[in-house]
Amino acid sequence: MKEREKESIKDQEDRSLSIQYCPTCAQYIFYPRALCPHCWQGVPEWKESSGRGKVYTYTVVRKSYLPEFASRVPYIYALVELAEGIRLPSNIIDCPVEQIRIGMQVELAWVQGDFGFIPVFRRIEV
Amino acid sequence: MTIRGRTAISGMAELKPLIDAGGRSSMELLAEVAALAIEDAGLKKSDIDGLLLTPPAEGNGFMWPAQMAEYLKMSPSYINMVELGGASACAAATRAALGVAAGLCKHCLCLSGGIWDPQVFNDQEGKTAVMSKAEMEYELPYGPMGFNSAYAWIAQRHMYEFGTTPEQMAKIAVDQRQNALANPEALFNEQALSIEDVLNSPLIVDPIHRLEIVRPCSGAAAVIVSSSEIAADMPQLPVFLLGMGEACSHNSIVYSDNITLSPVKDSARRAFAMAGQGPGDMDLLSLYDCYPITVIITIEDAGFCPKGEGGGWVESRDLTYRGPLPLNTHGGQLSFGQPSYAGGMSHLTEAVRQLRGQAGKRQIKNHRLAFVNGNGGVMSTQSSLILGRDRA
Ligand SMILES: [Zn+2]
Repeated sequence: MKEREKESIKDQEDRSLSIQYCPTCAQYIFYPRALCPHCWQGVPEWKESSGRGKVYTYTVVRKSYLPEFASRVPYIYALVELAEGIRLPSNIIDCPVEQIRIGMQVELAWVQGDFGFIPVFRRIEV
Repeated sequence: MTIRGRTAISGMAELKPLIDAGGRSSMELLAEVAALAIEDAGLKKSDIDGLLLTPPAEGNGFMWPAQMAEYLKMSPSYINMVELGGASACAAATRAALGVAAGLCKHCLCLSGGIWDPQVFNDQEGKTAVMSKAEMEYELPYGPMGFNSAYAWIAQRHMYEFGTTPEQMAKIAVDQRQNALANPEALFNEQALSIEDVLNSPLIVDPIHRLEIVRPCSGAAAVIVSSSEIAADMPQLPVFLLGMGEACSHNSIVYSDNITLSPVKDSARRAFAMAGQGPGDMDLLSLYDCYPITVIITIEDAGFCPKGEGGGWVESRDLTYRGPLPLNTHGGQLSFGQPSYAGGMSHLTEAVRQLRGQAGKRQIKNHRLAFVNGNGGVMSTQSSLILGRDRA
């Protein structure tokens, strides 16, 4: 049962981020699947992510046609590379759009958005 | 056994792209362009026994090939729909060549296009209709802006890795507009653009400006593929299909291992290998252009310059029909318009026109070989073609 409850990567109770890992070929998996897409052999397990990563790429959305986002422009829509190597689409919060850079170190945060309680990232001051 | 040179494009037609289709339906446009294509090929309707379609632009797509065959009152021996996004049109030509070479049909009509309905495109359902389950679940909550933000990610990373500049990307829109000025059929063919014009147009998603984003519109295009022996006796100069290559590495760009390196490196390599030609042999580039970064990456990955040097390559060259290796002489989708899936066929029809020597004011001087590339999704599916005026 526990596995079925974890179909989503979001683990709201402890605010950690769970990602899939294949014990057969020792690779991380995103998005979640029932069968490892790398080796087609392993049944994925859930592991807690470090929640740390860096900005692999980004854009600043200055005009959005999505009604939920129209009033939020400009905002940062980024692809974050976790320390585990997988990449997640996300937003970078608490960062002025002029300061966003590729390679910026970020860490996990959670926000309540129009699409639910979702994992986002905030810059780590270094 | 290779299918190199065994088939040729023997007929083609294209409607002038329009913002407003004036209440006409996609099926009406497709029927009109089909009739023009058989006229161009000197064929009768009854000669066409193959039908390949790209997906419909509106309405119910269930059994779409049969819907269209019924509308046209055809009973083809070879029929299918090709769904590879913007690569569908080039991929349809490849599948037509396969069907003809295998003897499953004699003359295969590839049909693409439809109407652009702002009502359909602008509502929430229309926006999410192109999203996979994974995109809905893991991308939508963060406010993506469809293809715009995905290509913006690629452009941003390309600038970071290779020093590509906004001016270099803008140059593609500028030179393609020069080509469009010589194309009466193009949607935007009245006003030249400068790099400043492009960079002063509003930033939509950094670093992409409004004038670097393709314009959806209504229209249709068709090509007919026949065996080379038969095409040689048909009225038009045959344009031989010498090389074909495809590749696919992801659907959403999130899952590409390296977002600045596209599967064009595989599709182009396969097409050049089949043709026995290389990038240096080409006289024309007809490359899918939804955004300038698409063109830069295609030029690099197809081997026209070393990886990462596409920005400098486009900056230092005259890419117009007057230049040494012209690019998208019809104006590209950026200036010609993107009439649904027929946007990806416009690169093919223009290459056929140029190789035949029928491009009018924008006719290029050397027109023996063309490299055509169709790109679907976000540098996802690729269909590369080498077209030649000579069979061997
Ligand atoms: Zn595995």
